Amino acid sequence: MSRSSVSRRPLLLRFVAFLSSKYSVVYLFVLPAVIIRMIFTLAPLIQTLAMSFTNKSMMNQERFIGLKNYLDLIQDKTLIAAFFFTLVYTGASMLVETALGLGIAVLLTQKLLGRWLSNFIMLLPWVMAPLLAAIVWKIMYYEDGGILNDLFRRGGLISEPVRWLSDANTARLSVILTTVWKNVSWVALILMAGMGSVSPEIYEAATVDGANSFQRFRYITLPLLRSSLLLVLMFRGMGEIQTFEQITGLTRGGPGTATQTLAVYAYRRFFQELRYGYGSAINVLLLVLTIAIGGFFAWRLYSASR
Amino acid sequence: MTLSTRVTTSLKQTLLYCCLFIVLLFLIFPVYYMVITSLKPPGEAYRLPPTLWPEHPTLSAYPFMFEAWGYWQTLTNTILVAGASAFGATFLGGLAAYGFSRMSFMGKPLMYSFMVGSMAVPSMVIVGPIFLAYRSLQLLDTRLGLVLVFLASGLPVAFLTLFSYFKAIPRELDDAASIDGCNWFSILFRIIVPIAMPGVSVSFLLLFIAGWNEFLFAFTLTITPATRLLTVRLFEVPVRSDINTIPYDLIATGGVLILLPLVPLLLRVQKQLVEGILAGAVKE
Repeated sequence: MSRSSVSRRPLLLRFVAFLSSKYSVVYLFVLPAVIIRMIFTLAPLIQTLAMSFTNKSMMNQERFIGLKNYLDLIQDKTLIAAFFFTLVYTGASMLVETALGLGIAVLLTQKLLGRWLSNFIMLLPWVMAPLLAAIVWKIMYYEDGGILNDLFRRGGLISEPVRWLSDANTARLSVILTTVWKNVSWVALILMAGMGSVSPEIYEAATVDGANSFQRFRYITLPLLRSSLLLVLMFRGMGEIQTFEQITGLTRGGPGTATQTLAVYAYRRFFQELRYGYGSAINVLLLVLTIAIGGFFAWRLYSASR
Repeated sequence: MTLSTRVTTSLKQTLLYCCLFIVLLFLIFPVYYMVITSLKPPGEAYRLPPTLWPEHPTLSAYPFMFEAWGYWQTLTNTILVAGASAFGATFLGGLAAYGFSRMSFMGKPLMYSFMVGSMAVPSMVIVGPIFLAYRSLQLLDTRLGLVLVFLASGLPVAFLTLFSYFKAIPRELDDAASIDGCNWFSILFRIIVPIAMPGVSVSFLLLFIAGWNEFLFAFTLTITPATRLLTVRLFEVPVRSDINTIPYDLIATGGVLILLPLVPLLLRVQKQLVEGILAGAVKE
């Protein structure tokens, strides 16, 4: 059969012929996963994009309104506050988690006793649901004689009770602290794996050459951990930017709207006020931010690996 | 070794153990406080100043919460949904990982980028349309609906974990098996899967724990207690009729009831899990 006659056969027939060839079996393996993923991620994503250009809500007929939702976003003071809080929260959490996690990883690779026990304790915050972590910390943050205020007062660190969750700025720090507690051990575990791939001979050689432990950390460990650190920052950044559960469990965005993240705000608009169009526009903003963070670190990782 | 270096070394050791102690205390204290709060009788849970050890430890909050939550029903739901979705995602993700690691086909790079790239889509962005679709498809408030969503969101993790395991298995094994007359499916299930069993179980465990802890989908896509999962019920802690304050002991009890079933699992598979988290994150 000549080449031209193949291409003249209807597309559908060629597709069927391909599916019945012996190589098509690969699609039996690959397509179920890809199709399910398309139904549950790509389709909702497209619908969110489409809804963000409409005024769809529980009340009114769905109507195309162009960019109106986005123009409203720019003037929505609550949104702007949520936007900046989300950025600050994300930046602070991911940096503190990474720095502290690096410290813990260095500490735990010092051949100390009780490795099994410390591994178990490290896994506890990791295995807890973010909402459960928030609830546990909420019990400790209780202001009128909760355990944290009580311990700090007995330790002589404070005279007035700290208003953990009812003062705007303190509440912002409190939710960051809870997030750091929840995620720092995951960071430490990943970085420990990164350190495990550094061969001990390098350190021995450096020690022979007279490098002290700080120099060994600064000039050997850190550069070799570069891609692990980027990976950790990428995952944590993309995780923190969409934080919903910790905030819901601790403050529900309060006091006022001081700790409201974009995801919490989008949830409020979409599911509580049933303003599907406007909620979707907030979600599009959240999506763009997530992709920006992921894309930035993926690009840094890619250029670091070359 | 001279005396002075020995003193420095032991000083350094002491310092390191102090740091380790502080770190571990920070990590475990909230969990410890949750457990002992759940053991306090109601009066002591609200009393000021709070106690670091229950004076009269009691388990009385537990039967109360079992009753109030309908714990067994919720526990069964959680195990069923987390288990079925973790199994399904590991199975389908494994099939896909096998296809990607062994064969070349039309659209492979595009599909690979889609599987990995779609991890960047926040749950909050897709939960709305899924909620609306489920409402018209009658899938709202069903366990099947939850299983499907959890399965779909677990697929990339299963796929990436197993892809890195499968890639490491030499192709010669496949070739030998196929000369012996094995087809693709029997190569996968009789040769590849047994070798990559640690990866399969790590993938299952990671997804089971993820399903156990999932909140956003479980919260928005279920309505009645009959389909609720454990985490969501933290918002449904009852208030005692006679005491007009937040029932900390009951909330803490609920927390223990959610965490406790995972602990035996964690003890059994700790080492494997640590390696698995590392394998999944570092290899790609």
